[in-house]
Amino acid sequence: MNKYFRELTVAIALALLLLSLAIFAPHFFQAQPIISRLTSQMPALVAAVGIALVIISRQIDISIGAQFSMCAIVAGVTASAGFPLGMAILAALVTGALMGAVNGVLVAYLGLPSIVVTLATMVTWQEALRLWQQGRLLALPNGIQWFGLSQQVGQMVVISVALTLVVGAAWAMKNLSGGRQIYATGTDAEAARLAGIDPKRTTFRVFVLMGLLTGLAAVLNLVQSPQVQPNCGDGLDLKTIAAVVVGGVAISGGRGTMWGVLLGMLLLANVNPALTHFHQPPYWEKAIQGLVILLAAVADGLRSRKTKF
Amino acid sequence: MPSSRSISLKLLLARHEVVLVLVILVEVVLFQLLGRNFLVGRNVSNVFRHSVEIGLLAVAMTPVILTGGIDLSVGSMMGLCAVLFGMMVNRLGMDPWFASLAVVGIGALGGGFNAVLITRLNLPPLIVTLGTFSLFRGLAEALTRGAESYSGFPPSFLALGNSDFAGIPAQVWIFIGVAVGIWLLVHRTTLGRSFRAIGFAPEGARYAGIPVARNTSIAYMIAGAVAGIAAVILVARLGEARANAGIGYELLAITAVVLGGVSIFGGSGTLAGTLLGWVALAILNNGLTRISDYRILEQPVASVARELSGLLTGLLLLTALSLGALTKTLAVRRARKQSLSDTSPNLVKS
Repeated sequence: MNKYFRELTVAIALALLLLSLAIFAPHFFQAQPIISRLTSQMPALVAAVGIALVIISRQIDISIGAQFSMCAIVAGVTASAGFPLGMAILAALVTGALMGAVNGVLVAYLGLPSIVVTLATMVTWQEALRLWQQGRLLALPNGIQWFGLSQQVGQMVVISVALTLVVGAAWAMKNLSGGRQIYATGTDAEAARLAGIDPKRTTFRVFVLMGLLTGLAAVLNLVQSPQVQPNCGDGLDLKTIAAVVVGGVAISGGRGTMWGVLLGMLLLANVNPALTHFHQPPYWEKAIQGLVILLAAVADGLRSRKTKF
Repeated sequence: MPSSRSISLKLLLARHEVVLVLVILVEVVLFQLLGRNFLVGRNVSNVFRHSVEIGLLAVAMTPVILTGGIDLSVGSMMGLCAVLFGMMVNRLGMDPWFASLAVVGIGALGGGFNAVLITRLNLPPLIVTLGTFSLFRGLAEALTRGAESYSGFPPSFLALGNSDFAGIPAQVWIFIGVAVGIWLLVHRTTLGRSFRAIGFAPEGARYAGIPVARNTSIAYMIAGAVAGIAAVILVARLGEARANAGIGYELLAITAVVLGGVSIFGGSGTLAGTLLGWVALAILNNGLTRISDYRILEQPVASVARELSGLLTGLLLLTALSLGALTKTLAVRRARKQSLSDTSPNLVKS
């Protein structure tokens, strides 16, 4: 069977969805709304790249929603304190990397299961943030929204940063030894160790990278509005895991591509707008998302059974 | 050589349950000293009344985690069950007790759905229950169109959530029943023993003649059914059935189980541990709301009790996990050193 079978099926599903929209709801394809919709999905895409790395290395991170909110608020507070935009971005990235390092130490070097560790850090960051901000909306100073540029240019910057990242990550995962080490660790950590790879260090780095990417995602989200909400990351973890799994990244580790992640993200991101354009109520979004995750998992399960016997 | 007494003391301290009892005692003393009206009959019964739902989920999650699985969908199952219960009583005019039974059955079916995907298709429990986590909540939201809620239940039903029976809150009796039932199942039956065998080594359990798929399915179906019970109790306590019932409860339940020393990899743990973990969390939640004389970040502790107890829960869980992992690595290292020094003179023999 084709190596890119899963990516192809997602691409076909996406094409069918867009085609039916083109036929039955052509006003879906107006240029400006499409660009706005794309821009609003870019932060999640960046986070999805990170979560894909984590899942490929056979771990999971459910704390990224809380990390995202924390990075956004840290950047917002830095900017409000009068520091330039560059400092705010740096603050978000450093905060993300530090939170990722906490997860990384606990998972890689203490050997704790990532699901429990990130569950605990999720609760910790989330509640620390609530205690700190009390749910207040944080207004941002001028010059932050769209990086101080016009909206069109700002949207282009956001989209191109995210897409460059996807392309770069896809290339690095295929061609750099660091990328191959992530696949090797996720496929079989013991075999990777015998082959001279340090799986602990690889896992640690993946979590730090995850935090860094969450910081970047938070920045790309921050510049899109004049204020920042302390709960802006809620639900991001599930959304990105869903996108990544739909895009063919195996939850059992070692398999998946960034192109699949991009396709999975686009497919899920279009479900809700498609519902509204087909004049269906949007309440079904979560149910459909769950169903899509299950279908993707079942497809993976059936496929691996076929190859096994 | 350490004396035998210090060894037994060490063993006692190594027991997770003993440490938890100490934590609970410290909590009680601290909250009694710092807070107001903490150890008062009314408040003590409130501690339990308000945490029965999470206790139920934690107790039912224990067999699942013992098999090496996890069920992230129980909170969403509560939402779906609550909504279905409200619809049955309000729209169809069903008797609330009969509707309760129906909802528990639906919960078991939902758990069975998880189980089929996990055991028959060999899918990872994490991803399956993540899918149903989204699916069940989504169905609840779709059924209520995102906003509708159901209320106006008969007082005889609401009494389940708000009245006392023989001196303790009515729902605590149900909790005791469920907890005793699951304790008997886990610790006194071959089925319960098989849960740990499956979690310890699924292949080995299969070779030993244990019907792995069937027994694992039972654990998930129990979790679903108990989520239905928790939904009914929550609706009776709040007097309202909404799609957002039980949001985030699965995380609190898992926290209680892990805090109770049940291994997240499966294979080891006790129900007593889970219960103690749950009590520690429940007391923390309630105790902080009693502290009004002290301030943190210029706010009275009581007014930020929810955030603070969440934060402390997270830190407590991280500490418990790290300490467990550290003691394990140290013990392994020491054992290795000792066995090396013991065997080094006569290496040839081995």
